[in-house]
Amino acid sequence: MDYDLQLINVGKVYDNGTPAVIDFNLDVKKGEFIAFLGPSGCGKTTTLRMIAGFEDITSGDVLVRGLRINDMPPEQRPSSMIFQNYALFPHMSVRKNVGYGLDVKGMPRAERDNKVDRILDKLGLMDIADSLTHKLSGGQRQRIALARGLVVEPDILLLDEPLGALDANLRKAIQAELKLLQRNLGITFVFVTHAQSEALTLSDRIVVMNQGKIEQISAPAELYTRPNTAFVAQFIGRNTIFDGTVLDETNEQVRVETEFGIFTGTPNKNPAVGIQAKIVIPSESLEIHPVGRASSAQLANEYSGNVLTGIMERADVIGHLVQMAITLDGGTSVLLEGHVEKYRRDDLKPRSEVLISWQPDNATVIGA
Amino acid sequence: MQTTFIKPVLGVYTALFLLFLYGPFVVLGILSFQIGPNGGPQFPIIEWSTYWYQHVFGLTPPSRIAPLPIYEGLARSLTLAFMTMIVSTVLGVMSAQAFRTKFKGSDVVFYLIVLGMMVPGVLVGLGLALVANSVGIDRTWWSTAFVLHVVYTFPFAFLVMLAIFNRFDPSVEEAAWSLGVSPIKTFRKVTFPLIFPGVLSAMLFAFTLSYDEFSRTLFASGRDLTLPLAIYGTFSIEIHPNIFAFGVLTTLFSFALLAVYAILMTVSLRRAKRLAIQEDA
Repeated sequence: MDYDLQLINVGKVYDNGTPAVIDFNLDVKKGEFIAFLGPSGCGKTTTLRMIAGFEDITSGDVLVRGLRINDMPPEQRPSSMIFQNYALFPHMSVRKNVGYGLDVKGMPRAERDNKVDRILDKLGLMDIADSLTHKLSGGQRQRIALARGLVVEPDILLLDEPLGALDANLRKAIQAELKLLQRNLGITFVFVTHAQSEALTLSDRIVVMNQGKIEQISAPAELYTRPNTAFVAQFIGRNTIFDGTVLDETNEQVRVETEFGIFTGTPNKNPAVGIQAKIVIPSESLEIHPVGRASSAQLANEYSGNVLTGIMERADVIGHLVQMAITLDGGTSVLLEGHVEKYRRDDLKPRSEVLISWQPDNATVIGA
Repeated sequence: MQTTFIKPVLGVYTALFLLFLYGPFVVLGILSFQIGPNGGPQFPIIEWSTYWYQHVFGLTPPSRIAPLPIYEGLARSLTLAFMTMIVSTVLGVMSAQAFRTKFKGSDVVFYLIVLGMMVPGVLVGLGLALVANSVGIDRTWWSTAFVLHVVYTFPFAFLVMLAIFNRFDPSVEEAAWSLGVSPIKTFRKVTFPLIFPGVLSAMLFAFTLSYDEFSRTLFASGRDLTLPLAIYGTFSIEIHPNIFAFGVLTTLFSFALLAVYAILMTVSLRRAKRLAIQEDA
């Protein structure tokens, strides 16, 4: 298998001895869109900067198309980087900004102009090609930065929170453009973000990082529905998490004994019977039933015992979603989310007694 | 209530500041228009005239008052200030660039550099004169005095550039590197245009400080005098208003220098503003 980018046991320790990145392993196929996702300070940007050559690599190897680039200075690496603040050259016009990388390579003028025109056209920047960058909007400047990074035809494009400085609507629009652009060009993208929605929308695979370590590498759907670790379960989505002990295993499902009862879920690995475990229930997998409409026994039968009683405290409509807060008997609060249409019903009044349930397929059991 | 009290205080403060800053110059300016050649450097003005200005340029009929012996000094001082400006600014930019990354012993080196503008000038000048004498080097304005001027003005250029680099966004340089631009070319084509306002300020500092440097030059410059020394020399004979006329002219020269600086600054600040807007977004 040929990989565009490989990180092998990569580690970074700062001069003062603090480890920033620990034992980072990743293989990236050509044309893949990879996101590094994690809270600030988790080491995602440091890893990106090690690939770009702006940070020394303390241990391990970084390979681009099989070539070890650890000791290569940034200007010789086959990658280019897009910055959150765009880092455009303020003393150059849009066209000069974009063409500068080709200029220094000594490309003949006609060829350079041709390439610059093509990328400007592709990104819809033709109208402003001769403006200076400071007069332009954030979205335009981000596109200029993209054009400047792409025109040199890098093997890998590194993006450091490139949409972080844009407002929400513009961010959505540029996300779509970015995805399309990456598909068209077939260039490998490595994208750093702290926004899970961005990572889940854009990428083929997501690397979730926490405190310098990789927590999980998965495709978005897999990451969302089958978290590997407690950190991922808390960081991605809005999950209810119960601590417990694995009771037994049947038909690829396990039962976990918690303080709220015995619940069934799908293990993401094979948790051994008797170990400490967490059962993770996504907020949109929860079903709600008014007491009186359904009996606890009936639901227990239907949902493999995954039933709880509680009080529905409030229901808030947030755009197309309804968010409900349910207080369980022990006082624990649980969040339920669903489409607004589904919960347009009269029998769910605040402060009313309810039953909540979920299917074992939708809940993930992870070792604690 | 507080503002009613503070406002007059600030007003008086400002008035005093302006008085002390421009008062001497105004007195000098008025006295330079005294009648010559018999009018002296004191009030009252007997009669207004431009006699002393003509005298400075050698346009008056010969009289008992000799022309000012300062023209060679002026040429020397301008040359010396120019040389000092170039060398100190280059050194200042280079060392400030080095200080952008912390290195071992950077604190010590910082204070060593800054020491150059702190130590008493007369002592340094005297010390260098003694050293030069004992090793047998001739003291001249373009060698020994020049070295001291650089030692004195380089810290100012260094500190100005340090402040400029402090606010410089390094991701612009990283962007250039990642496009395949070598570090040297990045410095010339990206970094330098963006720090140019700072370089101008450093040049202005170095030039003006060297141009009227007195104490270090006094012992270190040898036989050929620079302008401040030559002017001081004329005081020891008899003071005529021609020295005031010259003072007015050289101050006007300084203003012209400032005007050039302001024009260049406006041009490059427009660039810097672009950068600032880019950073804010």
